[in-house]
Amino acid sequence: MSLLDFARGTALQWSLYIFVVGIIWRILGAALVMRRKDMSQARISGAERVKEGAMTILTRSVPPETFEKRIRFSHITGYLWHIGYFVVVLFFIPHILFIKSFLGFEWPGLPNPMILVIGAITLATLVALLVRRMTHPVLKLISTADDYISWLVAALPLITGYMVVARVGLHYETLLGLHVLSFCLLLIWFPFGKLMHVFFIFPSRYNVGAIFARRGVRV
Amino acid sequence: MTVSEEAFEQFRAGVGMLSEMAPPATERTDEERVRIFKNTVIKKIMPHEAMDLETCVHCGMCAEACHYYVATEDPKYTPIRKLELTRRVYQREVSPNRWLRRLLTRDITAQELEAWQELVYDSCTECGRCSLICPMGIHIAEMVALTREGLANASLAVDEQRAMSHEQGQRGTMFGMGSDSLVQAAQVLKQKGIDVPLDQPQAEILVVTSVIEMTLFTDALEGTAKIMNKLGCSWTVSTCGYEAANFGYMAGYSGYHRAAAMRVIEAAIAVGAKTVIIPECGHSYPALRWDGAAAYGKPLPFEVVAISEFIGREIKAGNLKVNKIPAAGKVTYHDPCKLGRVGGVFDEPREALQALGVDLSEVSPNRAQSYCCGGGAGNFLIRRAAPLRAKVWELKRGQFEDAGADRVVTSCASCRINFMAGAADTHWEKPIESLVALVGANLAD
Repeated sequence: MSLLDFARGTALQWSLYIFVVGIIWRILGAALVMRRKDMSQARISGAERVKEGAMTILTRSVPPETFEKRIRFSHITGYLWHIGYFVVVLFFIPHILFIKSFLGFEWPGLPNPMILVIGAITLATLVALLVRRMTHPVLKLISTADDYISWLVAALPLITGYMVVARVGLHYETLLGLHVLSFCLLLIWFPFGKLMHVFFIFPSRYNVGAIFARRGVRV
Repeated sequence: MTVSEEAFEQFRAGVGMLSEMAPPATERTDEERVRIFKNTVIKKIMPHEAMDLETCVHCGMCAEACHYYVATEDPKYTPIRKLELTRRVYQREVSPNRWLRRLLTRDITAQELEAWQELVYDSCTECGRCSLICPMGIHIAEMVALTREGLANASLAVDEQRAMSHEQGQRGTMFGMGSDSLVQAAQVLKQKGIDVPLDQPQAEILVVTSVIEMTLFTDALEGTAKIMNKLGCSWTVSTCGYEAANFGYMAGYSGYHRAAAMRVIEAAIAVGAKTVIIPECGHSYPALRWDGAAAYGKPLPFEVVAISEFIGREIKAGNLKVNKIPAAGKVTYHDPCKLGRVGGVFDEPREALQALGVDLSEVSPNRAQSYCCGGGAGNFLIRRAAPLRAKVWELKRGQFEDAGADRVVTSCASCRINFMAGAADTHWEKPIESLVALVGANLAD
C-alpha cells in the first residue's frame, strides 16, 4: 500500500470517525454540565430572548463601532484567513473532484491561479497572525499549547498543498499523500482543540445575547 | 447639594483603614486552598460558562474593552487571563477532554491562587464590557464572579472585602453601623421637615438604603424621601431589612449574599410590598434584581427597581413633576455598569435629566458601551488598587472633558466615590452629583 493509498483510505476513514465522534462527545460533555434556572423576572419574554440570542449570533460578526478601531487588525485578518481557507478548501477544483468521489456530486470551482493567490494570502495572513501571537504582549501572555498546535494543524494542509502544486522535493504521489495526511491530522485534532469554536461559537454567542437581553440590553 | 470635602476625606480615610481592621482569614494549607477552589469551580460552573471556556480562541480582543488594560496597556489585565485558573480547573477536571487536557494543561497552585487575587478583585469590576467585544460571545464577567467565589471559599478574598462581608454577614452592620444609624438619619431628615416612615406595618413600597447614604451621601437619601413623599406613595423603610449593599455578593461569599438578600426579601414580604426600590448603589441592583431569586430559592414576590429607574418611570407617567434647573450648563450622565450594561437601565435616568431641562451632553462611548468608573464591584474599598483607579479616572476625565461637561451626574454611590476621589486628587473642579439628589432638590410645588 502506498502512502497515498493509506492516506486516502484507512487514515481518512479513521480521521473522519474521530472527527465526528469527538465533536459529538465534546458538545454533549460541555452541554451536560449541571444546570441552574434563572428565576429573576426577565424584562422581555422568552420568545424575545430567543430572538435576541439568535440575532447576536449574527450581530457579533461585526464589532460595535466603539471597538472597531482598537481591534481592526485582528478583525480584518480573522476574516481574511477564515474566508481564504474556506474558499481554498471548497472551491479548488481537485478538492471538489475529491469530495465528489465520496459524495457523488460537484459544484463549480474557481480557476487554479485565483485559488493559488487566495491560498498565498491566507497562508501569509496565518503567518502574520502567528508572528503577532508570539510578539504581542497580550497574545504572548494568554497563548497556550492549543493555540500553537491548532495553528500548525490548520496551516499544514495549506503548506503541503502548495508543495503538491509546486512539486517540491519529493515524488508527486508522496507529496499528495502528505497533503491528505495533513488534512487527516486537522480532522483528528479538531474535536480536541480550539478549532471546536467553529461549533461552540453559535451557542456561546446565542447565550451572551440571551443573557443580556433578559436584562433589557442588546449586545 | 454636594458632599463636603471634609466629610468625603473622612470617609476615604475610614475606608483606607479597612485592611487593618479585617479579621484574619481562616488558616488553610496550600492543598486545602487548591482543593476548595477546584471544588467551587466544579460545583458552580454553568453549562453556558463551560461552552464559553471551550470556545475561547485566545484572540486577545477582550483586552481592548477593559478599562484597566486601556488605561495601562499592561497585558496582565487582559480579561480572559483573569479566568486562567478557572479555565485550567475546568479543562483538567470537568471538560469532556480532560484526559487529554491534563497532558497539555498545568495544574493550578496555591501561589497562583494568591497571585490571582489582584487580578479578580483589584483589576476587574465585573463591568461586562469585555462581554460586548468578544467575537465568540464569552461572558467573562460572570466567570470572574465564579473565580471570586472560589478564592473567597479558599480564604483568599481581598482583605477589605472580606472585612465588609464578614461584618455584614455575621453582625448585620457596616462600618460598625446598624439600624440605629438609620433611625438617626431619619431623625436628621425629620428635623428638616422630611418624613421617613420607618417600620410601617404595611406598605406598597419598601425602600432600601445603604450605609453610604446614611453617612456620606445623605443628599441621595434626602432626595429619595422627598420624592416618595411628593408622590404620596405608601412606603416604608424597615429597620430589619434596610441595607441594600451586599458585600458577600461582591466578594464571592454566596452564604453572605443570601443572608443579606434575605433580610430585605423578608422585610418586603412582612410589609406586603409590591415593589422594592434599590438606592443609588450599583451592585445592590443585580444582587437583588437579578440574583435575589436565586438567594430566595424561587421567584421574588415583588418587583425590584432602581431608584433612578423608578424616578424616570414616574416622570414619564406624569406622576412626578420637576422644575427646570436654571443655568445648569452641560450635564453628562455616567451609566453605572451594574445599572446600565448589566442591568438595562439607560432611558429612565436620561428621562429625569431631560425633565430637569439640562443640556445633556453624552460622553463617548455611552450607554451599553460606557467605560466603568474603575472602582465598581467593591474595588473602591481596596487601598492598594488606588493607583489603578487613578489611571481609569484619567480615562474618564478625558471623556467628560471631551463631552464639554460642566457637571457629571450618576446614579451609583461607587461611581460617585471614584469620580470624587479622582477629582479631588487631580483638582478637577466640576461637581459630581447624584441623580436622585438632583431630582429631589428640584421637585415642583
